[in-house]
Amino acid sequence: MSDNNGAHGQSGATTDSSLEGRAKTQKNGPKWWLGAVIGVIVAIAIIVGVNLAKPNAGAQGGNPSTVETGGNAADIVTIGLKLAPTNLDIRNTSGSALDQVLIGNVYEGLVARDGNNQVVPSIAKSWEESKDGLTYTFHLNDNMTFSNGDALTAEDVAWSINQLIKNQYHDADSLSMVKSVAADDDKNTVTITLKTANSNLLWTLTGRPGLVFDKDATYDAKTEAIGSGPYTVAKFVANDSITLKANPRYWGSHKAKTATVVVKYLADDNAAVNALKSGDVQVLAPITENLAEPFTSDSEHYTVKAGDDTDKYVMAFNSKGKNTSDKRVRQAIRYAINHEELIASRGGADKALGGPIPSLDPGYEDLTGLYPHDEAKAKALMQEAGYSTDKPLKLTLTYANIYGTELGDQLRSQLAKIGIDLKVNVVEFSTWLQDVYTNKDYDISLVDHNESHDFYQWADPTYYYNYDNKEVQRLYAQAIAATSDDQRDELLAKAAKIVSEDAPADWLFNYRVTTAWANGVSGFPVNLNQTLLPLYNVTYTK
Amino acid sequence: MRFIVRRLLLFVAALFGVSVVVFAALRILPGDVASVMAGLNSPASRVEALREQFGLNRPLVVQYADWAEGLLRGDFGTSILTGRSVTSLIAARASITFPLIVLGLLVAIMIGVPLGVAATLARSDAARTAFHVAGLIGGAIPALWGGLLLILLFARGTGLIGLFPSQGFPLDGWAAPGQAVWSLILPALTVGIIVGASLMRYTRSALGDIAGSGRIDMAMACGMTRAQAVTGVGLRLAMPQLVSVIGLTFAEMITGVMVIENLFALPGIGSGLVTDVGNRDLIAVQSELFMLAAFFLLVGLIVDLLHRALDPRLATAADATEVIA
Repeated sequence: MSDNNGAHGQSGATTDSSLEGRAKTQKNGPKWWLGAVIGVIVAIAIIVGVNLAKPNAGAQGGNPSTVETGGNAADIVTIGLKLAPTNLDIRNTSGSALDQVLIGNVYEGLVARDGNNQVVPSIAKSWEESKDGLTYTFHLNDNMTFSNGDALTAEDVAWSINQLIKNQYHDADSLSMVKSVAADDDKNTVTITLKTANSNLLWTLTGRPGLVFDKDATYDAKTEAIGSGPYTVAKFVANDSITLKANPRYWGSHKAKTATVVVKYLADDNAAVNALKSGDVQVLAPITENLAEPFTSDSEHYTVKAGDDTDKYVMAFNSKGKNTSDKRVRQAIRYAINHEELIASRGGADKALGGPIPSLDPGYEDLTGLYPHDEAKAKALMQEAGYSTDKPLKLTLTYANIYGTELGDQLRSQLAKIGIDLKVNVVEFSTWLQDVYTNKDYDISLVDHNESHDFYQWADPTYYYNYDNKEVQRLYAQAIAATSDDQRDELLAKAAKIVSEDAPADWLFNYRVTTAWANGVSGFPVNLNQTLLPLYNVTYTK
Repeated sequence: MRFIVRRLLLFVAALFGVSVVVFAALRILPGDVASVMAGLNSPASRVEALREQFGLNRPLVVQYADWAEGLLRGDFGTSILTGRSVTSLIAARASITFPLIVLGLLVAIMIGVPLGVAATLARSDAARTAFHVAGLIGGAIPALWGGLLLILLFARGTGLIGLFPSQGFPLDGWAAPGQAVWSLILPALTVGIIVGASLMRYTRSALGDIAGSGRIDMAMACGMTRAQAVTGVGLRLAMPQLVSVIGLTFAEMITGVMVIENLFALPGIGSGLVTDVGNRDLIAVQSELFMLAAFFLLVGLIVDLLHRALDPRLATAADATEVIA
């Protein structure tokens, strides 16, 4: 008996062994076991049965590409994205997740940009620029409406931009050179007058500063959105999903082709891949390249494509840091980094980037030749600065946990070879914002700067890079004041080259977003789709 | 009666303590919601303006008093980032987490209790070792790995047998009850298997103790078979112990299922809390933590009161020694 009590058996508790003997003879134990065994066998049989039946079922109905009766467009397309907005307040809350889902879909700007990052008409059908570059006149489309039925007039446009400046909403400082914004309802025009010429103005207006809001509407901007775009927000669940419904009052040429688009935010990469496999989403952007293999190899059912983007993985060296103020150390790090290896380990879609301007931005020039991978040169520079593998320099790399730990490990092992003992400090994004971005308390930082037209960061000595080069600042000011695009591009390219030579940072790579979708989906933008995702053209034919 | 009053006073005092600790601890975190909102391309002046707007520049004592005063009125405040009341945020998340826990516990009970009984009934050393090892392995499975395994086996699209959705909660939520339950099955299984393994060990040891105390032998002496004695008498005697284990597990799982929620992309309490902390939405976080702590304390209070109701011996013992449970 005591044997049966497991670890808690107490021999004192045993009784007449004949009782036990009788219990044994009456046992229904074998039957119990038999039942269990039968249960397991039945379960296995069901599993095998269902499994065998599955391929047939799949061939009959579950296979979208075999249906060739065409024209059977789905009413709902579900899209999986990664970074979720916490609210819908695009005037106050930072983050490209809001630009991505709202601009061009729910809100429209005075002007817009296309997949090649060029300015195209939107609310304004055309515009003129004065010779001195100080006055812009925008001619608006006729009969525009908001989704609530209100007419969209020149008055709304001017009000929106003036409010942005007056209340200092997000990105307001990019319009600091604006003197006045005036509406002429009779002519249906809006005139923007500048204090100084600015070659970036039109592009700036494609983003948040140019968005047009309804002057007369009152709504809770954090949970609702009233715009003039092809879609309206039907439902918003913070950090989870947004349901977009076609705007029945849409006025323009970008009419929604699919009645309902559901955007699901899948923070976990594996969950995202599972969602695409199971058909819960039809598109996944981005898909982690290393997890895309099952889709790339199944071209009968899926398409996988990488698009061009302005994402720059900037590994900034604090130019006023204790050790990183030494240019030799910064240069040594740039020589020591093996960009090809980094890109290959991420799947190979990303592009090497030798300087601060990516290929889709004005002033781009291939600068990858400036600091080629050269360990010997790197070691020599470190030697000069007084460090070697025996007497390594201790530096700390601080970056946000959203970028994963592999990147930090790779950099640590690459830099160890030239005598840098890199401590990798992976923190929450908000901690990075506080320590690095606000307090500038760091040696080396890493962040994905996905903004476009953001060279100003290198011309602003108060930015967290702590980079202060008068020549760069002068060239940038000239580029902004330039009245022709060619002149601007040339000046920017010149400035970018100086920055890259100074090595205040290493641009690890230009991240290119990989998008995967089930065949049958069309019209999904591949370029720039983490900041600019017009969905009006998206359809899914089963 | 005195005990109940004292216990209630202690409950209130603990709530007050929790509110102070939670408030203070969160203020030590680096970063704030204003800089998260302002992001990467805003000047410092904008961060400052946002801080002013949200009242983050006021003295901490004033901020605490403001929050505590709201709590007294049952107002948990408004999340700065989402602009929704914390109560509605919690309610939306709890409507996923609580059903998940209940389902998970049902699975755990269905697995754990029968196996625990079987382990007690098993006669041969080999069988008992097998149960012991199964219990250890089940309890040691990392939730993430177990979940991935289940996805590989049973998830639609990825699995060997595509039965259940592997991620997400239906858009309509509980308005589509069938889909909602369906989407919780794999996560509940993952939770259930792991918790079931520890429940099995609890069951076995509780039954073992009871058997050791001679009650099973007594029942057998009255003519029951061993199996009858263990399931009929032993299990009934072990029930209070098991119920309190299950109760405590329930409370623990509210945040414990976070890994599972992330893996299956379910916007529940745990994953929501992590997001809010990440965004430094401190008003939301402190109210959420406060509610969780209050829930834990409440469970403790109820368990204490129940035990006293069930077992009068506790009352006399406590009064005699002035011990407060």
